[in-house]
Amino acid sequence: MNRVKETLRGLVQPLLAVLIGLLAGAVAILVVGGSVVDTYAEMWKGAFGNFYFFTNTLARATPIILAGLGVALAFRAGFFNMGAEGQMILGGLSAALTALYLPGPGWFVCIAAILAGIIAGGVWSLFAGWLDARFGMNLLITTLLLNYIATYFGGYMVSYPFKDRTGSAAMAQTPMIDQSIWLPKLFQGMGLHAGFIIAIAAAILIYWFTHKTVTGYEIRMLGSNPSFAAYGGVRRIRMMMLSMVISGGLAGLAGAGEVLGTQYRFLDGSLSSASYAWSGIMATLLARSHPLGTAVAAVLLAALQTGAMGMERNTDVPLEVGSVIQAVLTLFVSAQIGYSFLKRRKEKKSNAAAV
Amino acid sequence: MQQLFDAAMFGSTLRIMTPILLAALGGALCSRVGLFNVGLEGLVLIGAFSAIVGNYLFGNVLMAVLFSIIIVMLFSALFAFISINLKANAIVVGISLNFLAAGLTTFALRAIFDVKGAYYDKDMVGLPKWDIPLIKDIPWVGTVLSGHSPLVYLGIIIVIALQFYLFKSVSGFRLRSVGENPIAAQSIGIKVRGIQYGAVLMCGVLCALAGAQLSLGQVTMFTEGMTAGRGFIALVATMLGQANPLGVMGSSVLFGFMEALSIRLQGFSLPTHFTMMLPYIVTLVAMFFFKDRTYAQDALKAGGSSR
Repeated sequence: MNRVKETLRGLVQPLLAVLIGLLAGAVAILVVGGSVVDTYAEMWKGAFGNFYFFTNTLARATPIILAGLGVALAFRAGFFNMGAEGQMILGGLSAALTALYLPGPGWFVCIAAILAGIIAGGVWSLFAGWLDARFGMNLLITTLLLNYIATYFGGYMVSYPFKDRTGSAAMAQTPMIDQSIWLPKLFQGMGLHAGFIIAIAAAILIYWFTHKTVTGYEIRMLGSNPSFAAYGGVRRIRMMMLSMVISGGLAGLAGAGEVLGTQYRFLDGSLSSASYAWSGIMATLLARSHPLGTAVAAVLLAALQTGAMGMERNTDVPLEVGSVIQAVLTLFVSAQIGYSFLKRRKEKKSNAAAV
Repeated sequence: MQQLFDAAMFGSTLRIMTPILLAALGGALCSRVGLFNVGLEGLVLIGAFSAIVGNYLFGNVLMAVLFSIIIVMLFSALFAFISINLKANAIVVGISLNFLAAGLTTFALRAIFDVKGAYYDKDMVGLPKWDIPLIKDIPWVGTVLSGHSPLVYLGIIIVIALQFYLFKSVSGFRLRSVGENPIAAQSIGIKVRGIQYGAVLMCGVLCALAGAQLSLGQVTMFTEGMTAGRGFIALVATMLGQANPLGVMGSSVLFGFMEALSIRLQGFSLPTHFTMMLPYIVTLVAMFFFKDRTYAQDALKAGGSSR
């Protein structure tokens, strides 16, 4: 009974945030002179209107779930891993190159490519963790900077050494991956691929890991109360490295999934322009780093994005309304507005803010 | 070499440095009152965009900058309110503020100008270029120092003013005491919250100026996400400079120089990917060499990363 109550209370805040987000979206829609009801109806149709749109939404959610899970795990341990984008790009690049150049049967190459993606993302993330642990370089900043380095590196690799020179297109991309290596589609003719199942499995696995294992408990403890964790004998550096490597590995997996399941090649800028990684971070913030919640929030954000695309097809409202809603939503959840406000009214007014 | 390091490159160093410097000074103020402001990137982006909007609305550069300052102050007030009054984690608020800035500017770009990606109008007048009398006639120095937008010179003046304010004035001492120990500061009757608000709002003003220099200083246009990580580089500049105006200036010069160099190198048949990567790599290397323990402590206090 208590547990149900707690879950419900946990839900109040995200729901409130969604409401505020939609309200902000409504203001934005009115500003550009659209009809709020019609626009939202089109948005809903664009995201969930029929089975095709629905699977589209889930396909878009797939990388967001994975990247978000990675960020969530690091957040849980108390580290701000902002490098999901770079980790995803390197993961996607490694997966593509493995798939192109590793000989062997399709299923074997596919698994190897996925592993290569996980390893590349994990190593890139671990590098940032190592810089922090060994040299005290602020993780938040290093991961951000490493994003840009990874982006330009990926761009270079597909513009020069591994560029597809067979086609007429001048795009910076690798050649197409052989069809036998592709991740299978879940439904004929739809965008949704096996990566979605991997993402859901990963969400459950991460939930199990953080909530049911000793190491997971230590990671959560480290994030919520570092001094207590240290007192209890948690080895901070080791846990940091562990959470960073898993975190980056998940982002790398997200990149590999996109390459092997959707694009079938590494295309410069395709992973970053859709800002999957940043949506993943938003999903994590929305769900307050709960793994299953992150998956749900990722689907919600993906629905907002695909819905906004559908909306733009059928109304005059620009699809950027979707990003306004997302951003306001995230801001309000991160602010923990309802919660802190209530709490503050109970306690006496104090002048000092940060202690 | 001669071609590479000519006076024009040092001139462009100054120009490129200015947005980073202004934003980093804002970051320094925030960090001096104990708020780690990750939202610089977003604030500068909003500044760049609202400067263009102001220019479009009023057709006057001065009004454009003022308009930008007002708009960015609103957003920095939002940051202050959520992190000071509602006691949210400042880093998380900063990250969300960046999202908000990216979302709002792309949306407003569509809503106001009805364009995607970038807004450019050939009739729009950017910031003026000031030729400094006397100095402009000195051969090498003139090319470097003269002919910049007023904001470039303002940035340098602000550095000196801020250095004096923080370390030589009573009010500056109070401001620093808030960051050092809010409880002690409060106990001697300092209005902690008021000072924190003041610092964050001033940071907003500085970020607005940084944004205006980006969008009106050189190109007179706005492109989506045109800050391209400069806000984060400014954050690093704040850290490297140990939230010390002169130090911040030094690190901003370094980053400005690297960016100017990377633009220069593109003329030398190097892949642009590597030249564009250069400023970020140098930033990482700089972080490695100039570690600041006190800042790491701040980040730790804010629930941040570095151990």
